[in-house]
Amino acid sequence: MRRIIITAAAAALAIAIAACGSSSSPSATSKSGPSGTLVISNAQGTQWNRSFNPFNPAVLGTGVTMGQVYEPLVFINTLQNAKTSPWLATAWAWTDNNKVLTFTIRNGVKFTDGTSMTAADVAFTFNMLKKFPGLDINSVWSVLQSVTQSGNQVVFTFKAPSVPYFYYVGDQIPIVPEHIWSTIANPVTYADSNPIGTGAFMVQSCTPQNITYVANPHYWQPGLPKVAKVLYPAFTSNDPANTYLATGQAQWGSQFIPNIETVYTSKSPDNHYWFPPIANVSLIPNLTVPGLNDVAVRQAMAYAIDRNKVSQVGEYGQQPPANQNAIATPTFSGWMNRQAAAQYNYTYNPAKAVQILTAAGYTKGSDGIFAKGGQRLSFSVINVGGYSDWVAAMSVIQQDLKAVGIQITPQNLALNAFTARLYAGSYQLAYYAQTGGPTPYYEFRQWLYSANSAPIGKNASSNWERYSNPATDALLNQYATTTDSATQHQMVNQLQQVVLKDVPFIPMTQQVTWYQYNTGSFTGWVTPGNPYALPAAYSYPDVGQLLLHLAPK
Amino acid sequence: MRFVLRRAGFFLLTLWAAVTLNFFLPRMMPGNPAIAMMAKFHGRLTGQSLIALETIFGVNTHESLLAQYWHYLCDIATGNFGTSLFFFPSPVSQVVRSALFWTLGLVGLTTIVAFLLGTGVGIVAAWRRGGLLDGIAPPVLVITSAIPYFWIGMMFIMIFGLKLRWLPWSGGTDITAVPGWNPAYIGNVLEHAILPGMALLITTIGTWTLTMRNNMVTILAEDYVRMARAKGLPARRIMLDYAARNAILPNLTGFAMSLGFVVGGAILIEYVFNYPGVGYMLLQAVQNEDYPLMQALFLLITVAVLVAILLADIATAIFDPRTRTAR
Repeated sequence: MRRIIITAAAAALAIAIAACGSSSSPSATSKSGPSGTLVISNAQGTQWNRSFNPFNPAVLGTGVTMGQVYEPLVFINTLQNAKTSPWLATAWAWTDNNKVLTFTIRNGVKFTDGTSMTAADVAFTFNMLKKFPGLDINSVWSVLQSVTQSGNQVVFTFKAPSVPYFYYVGDQIPIVPEHIWSTIANPVTYADSNPIGTGAFMVQSCTPQNITYVANPHYWQPGLPKVAKVLYPAFTSNDPANTYLATGQAQWGSQFIPNIETVYTSKSPDNHYWFPPIANVSLIPNLTVPGLNDVAVRQAMAYAIDRNKVSQVGEYGQQPPANQNAIATPTFSGWMNRQAAAQYNYTYNPAKAVQILTAAGYTKGSDGIFAKGGQRLSFSVINVGGYSDWVAAMSVIQQDLKAVGIQITPQNLALNAFTARLYAGSYQLAYYAQTGGPTPYYEFRQWLYSANSAPIGKNASSNWERYSNPATDALLNQYATTTDSATQHQMVNQLQQVVLKDVPFIPMTQQVTWYQYNTGSFTGWVTPGNPYALPAAYSYPDVGQLLLHLAPK
Repeated sequence: MRFVLRRAGFFLLTLWAAVTLNFFLPRMMPGNPAIAMMAKFHGRLTGQSLIALETIFGVNTHESLLAQYWHYLCDIATGNFGTSLFFFPSPVSQVVRSALFWTLGLVGLTTIVAFLLGTGVGIVAAWRRGGLLDGIAPPVLVITSAIPYFWIGMMFIMIFGLKLRWLPWSGGTDITAVPGWNPAYIGNVLEHAILPGMALLITTIGTWTLTMRNNMVTILAEDYVRMARAKGLPARRIMLDYAARNAILPNLTGFAMSLGFVVGGAILIEYVFNYPGVGYMLLQAVQNEDYPLMQALFLLITVAVLVAILLADIATAIFDPRTRTAR
């Protein structure tokens, strides 16, 4: 018996040493050539399914393919005010009143099977999206008229000026090889188990437990990547993933870790984290519900809730409080309309909330709840029961609203039931966030554009509160016609005015990008001082940028 | 013969009922797979993805429920379980096969070992009633069988995995292990199975031991055991060939049923130890409204349990002649 334990212990020890050792492999290798093995710890909650199809939303969301295996035309950095850098395209320009976008495609780029990547592949990729709408998850063909190749350039002609679509067309669409994808009968169901892309990494093996990437020896950027191998294990839950990070078995994490100081940062001086905010987690009123359709009620709510407390109690302070301008700070601080913010001054002010309700004709009933004309301010709010931090946040919101005479009753639902009701509009209040984009415009468009809405009972894609205002639509459309930064800022100022005045949604905390990193064996990480990309392993194509910058020590 | 036929007929009837329920229940759930996928990746997919997803998943196909049911029955008969929506575009049979191997290995082996070990301890404890083993085993095992196995699992991870670092605590194998029928890989698999296996074993062994012991104690009071002792048969022979053989019969059905439920996986073990398996896969299928995968897994569990009960009935009929004449 004892012999068994000793052998088992020895074996386990050896394996542990090997596993730890491989993550900080000695640079006895020559200076030229990649070295080191990086381990990612992102609890995506599933086993791997050998599919790298970069048009499959399920695959994309886990960050396994776009960026490191397949590359887009340009890179747009959300954290540096949408700074655009060349990737597979070397130059780009809007012409014809911002209706025509021309990309010049880089020379000398090869796919991992040795064939050259040319403008023909780019044109093919986009025309394939047109042919198979199931691949077009960014709906680029709702605004595109044609995509043609001319020499080493690709010309995108839009139906109307669509400047914001530069992000979707340039940064979010992977370029795939024509000679392979043109032979696939139905690319929507194509698993793409052995992906051939232009990226810095190739898939060496994929088991349900782990994906192994190796450096592409013929990558078009000389000397890159510096990391030889990347391991991406599958984690079904957060706890093993967090433990991997805490013990140093993984160096790059992308999850919410409660009590992060005790569990992670205190374990090693090399453990760091940073959570850059990118969007707003908001209380969403269904604007068709009586009571909530009164702007006075919504304004009162915006004054009544202590966002600092929501952030502290619900999110351990890891998600900073949001502002009613719906501008994520400090990421998008340059867009903040400070004048309007000061004018409305949506700070925690329960007295003002009561004042607004009284001035609008509401009177407090004997139960302490305001009412007007028989309409009591009592609503239900749906929330995702599985997100314990949001449930905690909601209890703070509930208390704050009760203090000013508005009653809300949380209903914690399973994620599916929640989103089904949210999309269909069968709720009174809800708690959720948008995806956002590289500038605040994208989030505003998702919240406010009437085409993103739908009648109650039908699924709205992102305008769940059913806000509709032709003037705002015109503003959003007008933004799309200009590339001039000053004009864009002016319009976003006006959009903020809309959110401040009409209060179509009430931002509570800021949605952040989860990011933990260990500087012990690798350098080149995204840091607050050097935010060259969105640092989560699930951000695409930013994951590719991070892997290009990292180098073993 | 008639006995077997009747049992088989009953089996087919229950199977049909289970298959039909299996079809209708998931469709009563709110939402659809496209919305479920949007929800899962909230924050990373744009609103337009919804339309693309609905196209991909073939939602809103406008086929009548009865037509869908008929297609479903035909597909089941031919073994075509369709394409998984959550693990799109992998076929369901491939997805289930990959996880089933792990579940059968870990949970199946552990159940068998727990049964054999538990029964053995129960037999000896009953035979030496009042002895040391009988004094210690039942109370200890009552406690261990009441402890939730995920708690034991987490204790094991903390003590043996993290503090002492004796054994690996995550995954079915090392993340870099290459699958293959070689000693290195098999050794790796076994090593990773020790902690989850022990957690399962400790919590399930109690039931077998206690029921076996109690059955044995009842049997030992029977006249034929006293007769055997009087005849001077060796103690071991009486214990095994006479007492245990009769005492084990009630346990057989229970054992067969737990074997059937093995294919349902042990979801908490899989969750805590990040172990691949069918249990967590079923949870994900339900959460993401992956109808094809859900249906296939529910069907698998139902068929396995029904077959197990059928086999248990037949085995009991073989071992205990009294049941053959029962109506």
